[in-house]
Amino acid sequence: MKNLYLGVDIGSVSINIVAIDEENELVFKLYTRNSGNPIDLVKKGLSKFEREIELDEYKISGVGVTGSGRQLIAYVLGADTVKNEITAHARASTYYHPDAGTIFEIGGQDSKLIIVENGIAVDFAMNTVCAAGTGSFLDHQAERLGIAIEDFGSLAHEAERDVRIAGRCTVFAESDMISKQQYGFTKPEIIKGLSEALVRNYMNNLVRNRVLEGEFIFQGGVAANEGIKAAFEEEIDSEVIVPKHYDVMGAIGIAMLAKRDVKRKGVESQFRGFNLTEEEFETSSFECSDCANHCEVIRVIADDKVIAVTGDRCGKHTAASMTDKNRNLKKDEKDSTKEKEAESKEEIEEVDLYKIDPEQEQKVMKELEELEEQEREKEEAEDNVLL
Amino acid sequence: MDKIKIGIPRALIYYYYFPFWLKLFSSLGVEAVISDPTSREQLDQGVKNSLSEICVPIKIIVGHVLDLQQKGVDYIYVPRFKSLRKDAVLCPKFLGLPDLFRHSLPQLNDFIISDTIESKSDDISDYSNYTELAEVLNIAKSEMKKALKKASDLWQRYRKLLFDGYLIDEFLALDNIEALEAKISQLEKEDDLPQSRAEVKQEEGSEETLDIALIGYVYNVYDNYVNMDIINKFKELGVRIHTFSMVENEIIEKELAQLRKPMFWEFTNKLYGATQHFFKDNNIDGLIHITAFGCGPDSILGQIIELDAKKYEKPFMTLRIDEQTGESHITTRIEAFIDMLRLKKESS
Repeated sequence: MKNLYLGVDIGSVSINIVAIDEENELVFKLYTRNSGNPIDLVKKGLSKFEREIELDEYKISGVGVTGSGRQLIAYVLGADTVKNEITAHARASTYYHPDAGTIFEIGGQDSKLIIVENGIAVDFAMNTVCAAGTGSFLDHQAERLGIAIEDFGSLAHEAERDVRIAGRCTVFAESDMISKQQYGFTKPEIIKGLSEALVRNYMNNLVRNRVLEGEFIFQGGVAANEGIKAAFEEEIDSEVIVPKHYDVMGAIGIAMLAKRDVKRKGVESQFRGFNLTEEEFETSSFECSDCANHCEVIRVIADDKVIAVTGDRCGKHTAASMTDKNRNLKKDEKDSTKEKEAESKEEIEEVDLYKIDPEQEQKVMKELEELEEQEREKEEAEDNVLL
Repeated sequence: MDKIKIGIPRALIYYYYFPFWLKLFSSLGVEAVISDPTSREQLDQGVKNSLSEICVPIKIIVGHVLDLQQKGVDYIYVPRFKSLRKDAVLCPKFLGLPDLFRHSLPQLNDFIISDTIESKSDDISDYSNYTELAEVLNIAKSEMKKALKKASDLWQRYRKLLFDGYLIDEFLALDNIEALEAKISQLEKEDDLPQSRAEVKQEEGSEETLDIALIGYVYNVYDNYVNMDIINKFKELGVRIHTFSMVENEIIEKELAQLRKPMFWEFTNKLYGATQHFFKDNNIDGLIHITAFGCGPDSILGQIIELDAKKYEKPFMTLRIDEQTGESHITTRIEAFIDMLRLKKESS
């Protein structure tokens, strides 16, 4: 039996699952868009894994979870290593590119800069309060221009003229793009201008006065965008390498870290097994009113059993769930009924985190359609002008 | 007759001078009532009752003062801290603090005692700083002077412990004077090393102990609501914390003398001096500047530290705190910073 290590990256825009073997070879790779329910998507991903990989030959010996949604999924999977995405990204890129000096990472809602010396991260920066220039903004703009996000980057190569777009702020960038469109600049030119603006913004906010040294690695979902890559190359006047698995580097990195951790500790993986794809997971939350902080406490429930509690600042609900876990099953059941009683007594308001309000959704869809309609009209008007 | 109750907001400079104040009020036979530790409710109240552009520490003290009003105190002690050194003042918001309350919360006008503290050093026990307090409480000058002497003595003993390496955090939970004095006496006798020098117990197979200098004002470093419990997060990760309050005055003064002239703001000066000291200390693995969003003095200090960190080749990071309640951004940054330091240490 060969050992496999799972790496899961729960980002704001995508959810990635990879499996690597002892030699760090990629055995499985999955990149999915995060449509809002990470638990379901991870379950689906694991089912796919089960179907594609001969499980008789392999054993899952370690599981690592990273990304902004790591805590919740770590409980669901029974992860051995839960680490931030900066460490995970640095780990993977220095493995594939040992001479890396600078890593640009642009994801769904974060952009990061990691400075590497001799294979070790020595400095990093992350976007602060503002998410201008990250994946979700590009998604939004691609949609607005009616271009598939996959074609968005390559279109920039077709630009004939330069146009300057304000990149400081997404809101200003958007209004700038609209007005430049109205002046008659073509879509490719707008996209090129936007790419340059995003890179300029990245340089101002993250790089600041740092001296960048090669090799330059560009990864994260946005690295698929050739326009941004070209803009980076122009800005730093050097070649920029996009790794083969640029879109799942975080997942690969965390799988490697999980491997290191289980080996160092010499323990068995805490992975809950593939059966979890058949378990029902639910999350519920309530506002604790025991003190003035009113924390939103989130519970993860698997087959009617609370497997994790998080979100309480004082840690008392978390601690209670930990002791619950150590008790045997029967007691657990008793506890949960007791808990239910207590809940009804205190009339705690339960909110289903992923519940969709059909009315609300219809409203949103209608608004979207209207917007698209307006867009089409605008486009037609524009075409007329160009004619 | 019941004792007079004086409320002290657990905010801003409280985190620096609380032992002094507690001793002073107890010696005067006054009951000191401290507002509850910062909570969401207090912050919400503070936000509602202050200017939207003002920094979060000020919003927090507004929340605390309102909390004290509800506690039914006779007076609220909000002194105007003007200076702790010749030619340097405190942040303008400290200078205008009593006025800020007078104008935005006029219903509190009769409650607030706001002596101006104008001192040449950290020792604020000069009688001239307490004339309003003495008048309101109807206390004779000689009696006030005696109480101030006692407060000053305890404060000096406490400071010695801080210089020894104890965190202010270890005393903060003790907000009555008896418990605080007992703790100070106990620690003075103890042979155990303070956290900044003690061996950190680590699980087997886990990583090395790190020493991180946490650069920030007391009300950002020790208010664990607004900073998302950063001190305990570090402790859990096996990190020893060093703060400016552990650096003795002489060292800070020596470092400060390197500047062509000191900055205008006293606590910014103290942070600067301590930071320079930490840069030269080989035991310090990295520095973190924790700053409130929109802090004016820190916009200058932060730049200086960032540039100097490069000169001294020390890893450095800025953590910005504000009204947000999600912790993930702070956790991610802290974790990544610590991972980076550990990998660096392991490889060298």
